[in-house]
Amino acid sequence: MSYDTKAATGTGFSFEVSGPWATYWVAMLRVITGWWFFHAGVTKLLDSGLNFGYAPMYLEGMSGTTLGPVATFLAGFPNLMGAMVPLFETLIGLALIAGLLTRLASFGGVIFMSLFWVGNAGFGHGVVNGDLMGLLLFVTMIALAAGRYYGLDAFVEKMSFVQNNPRLKYLLG
Amino acid sequence: MTDTIDRVAMYLSGGLLLLGIVVTGLIETLAGKPYGAAPQTNEAGEVIASPAIDPNIRTALVVAALLVMGLYAVYKLATPIEEDTGTAATPSTSD
Repeated sequence: MSYDTKAATGTGFSFEVSGPWATYWVAMLRVITGWWFFHAGVTKLLDSGLNFGYAPMYLEGMSGTTLGPVATFLAGFPNLMGAMVPLFETLIGLALIAGLLTRLASFGGVIFMSLFWVGNAGFGHGVVNGDLMGLLLFVTMIALAAGRYYGLDAFVEKMSFVQNNPRLKYLLG
Repeated sequence: MTDTIDRVAMYLSGGLLLLGIVVTGLIETLAGKPYGAAPQTNEAGEVIASPAIDPNIRTALVVAALLVMGLYAVYKLATPIEEDTGTAATPSTSD
């Protein structure tokens, strides 16, 4: 993705993010999104440790939705899901707050929010609801490489290991 | 080649997103009540009107858009980086 005035792909598609306010706001969005997930995860850990029993029930209830086959398959591993949901929510949140492995963590966030958005069937507040906005926030973190703005990824990407393996920037950034 | 794939990924994912959210949303609104994706019920809780478009179709379109972006990400990971001038201060245009 591009965040320079020059089109990254030569297609004429560009998105300028320059100046202190734009970078500041990308970083703010990242930290707040991270806090959202960190809080959701750590409170589950405090309440029920690595046995979040609602996770498999929720997944089971997703049958008949767009992601039903995936969700019901995952529900077949109740102990794993009960541990992974609070753990990964917490880790994704921490990663975004710190701006470390931001794109990888945001990919995890996209998975979570896809399941939340599709699974919260009924859509009493429409298809475009808070869950979809959360999902789009994580996609935005990936597209803008939000970890490069006041995040640890900015430093990690300068390390020789990453310089020698530039593809890692697709997971960092 | 890369430009073509970039373009296809952008247009296809963007098109699916807009189709699943905006276009179908507009159709649903124009089709009359219920204007949203939830069925309309009476006081007894009985469904008196269903959405014109099944919400599963709309979510499927958005999920398909996400899959396109995911496949594009895998492609970018799997192919060599053409240009890398990026730093934190001046982000790269190659990724």
